Amino acid sequence: MQVLNWFFQRKADDVRTKAKDRMRLMLIHDRLELPPDRLASLEEELVAVVCRYFEIDRDAARFDLQQYERRAALIANFPLLRSKT
Amino acid sequence: MSGRVIVVTSGKGGVGKTTATANIAVALASSGSSVAMIDMDIGLRNLDILMGLENRVVYNLVDVVEEKCKIRQALVKDKRHASLCLLPAAQTRDKTAVNADQMKKLCAELKTMFDFVLVDSPAGIESGFQNAIAGAEEAVVICTPEMSAVRDADRVIGLLEARKEEISQYRLIINRIRPAMVKNNDMMSVNDVLEILSCKLLGVVPEDEDVIISTNKGEPLAGTDNARAGQAYRNIARRLKGEEVSFLDLDSLNGNNGSWFARVVKFFNPVRV
Repeated sequence: MQVLNWFFQRKADDVRTKAKDRMRLMLIHDRLELPPDRLASLEEELVAVVCRYFEIDRDAARFDLQQYERRAALIANFPLLRSKT
Repeated sequence: MSGRVIVVTSGKGGVGKTTATANIAVALASSGSSVAMIDMDIGLRNLDILMGLENRVVYNLVDVVEEKCKIRQALVKDKRHASLCLLPAAQTRDKTAVNADQMKKLCAELKTMFDFVLVDSPAGIESGFQNAIAGAEEAVVICTPEMSAVRDADRVIGLLEARKEEISQYRLIINRIRPAMVKNNDMMSVNDVLEILSCKLLGVVPEDEDVIISTNKGEPLAGTDNARAGQAYRNIARRLKGEEVSFLDLDSLNGNNGSWFARVVKFFNPVRV
């Protein structure tokens, strides 16, 4: 088992992965000139709007920025439980 | 003749712009091209030292711009390559001694005299950098696999993108990569940096002590020996000329490619260099 782990290793907590993840996030913010707290307030507002229409699974909700080439995309994924009447 | 004006830039200082300029120029000249280097780091002149030409500087870039001499008088001929010249920076002036229009004019004139005009940009993104890119049609961005260098390179790429009409293409050189550290997942790999910057790769130069030795000797290593960084720069020069050259296999340079076991491991778990 250890051998298998070794073959397929790509530890998420190694320095290289950490640097890459930090880098990616930093550059998305740099390129958009996005202040650090702005995304959190957008999420809050969006969730509030969606919640007017649906009950959502807050724990499974995903909300983040991803990089495509030199552009960023906002990925919001709110699993819906039921609609509100 | 209409040569190509290529600016070598990075944003961050100390990542190897001047070393890259000197070595690419020597490699291009060795393969038969005529090359002019312009040191744009006015006030902090260094390219003359790397070329071993510090004792031959008479006039400089600012003298040319201020029409105190002709371009030909200011160009310093390389010791080894007759087709290679340096236009040195002024050491006692500052970045404001030249402006963008003057640079455009200067590059346009040098273009008629040489196959390649390499502009060594100063660090930063202020006026010195703006002047350096003013006359350029292509850019080479130098970056090391460190977070601060990658961030600064990204900023520079953003500025180059904004000038797409003048600067038709930019490509990245990843400098001072340390294969052993990448292997241990302690350093970002070539692919990591490319993925983050979304940029075309021009070359990969491994960390090499010989670079320091060659600077001390005033002989860029692309011209003299078999150092692996020298090979990397010769490959870069060939790619600039449009040749397809495969990238240095840093894994084998690291001496870990030989056994069947290493190959099996590599198959399952490719080290991304």
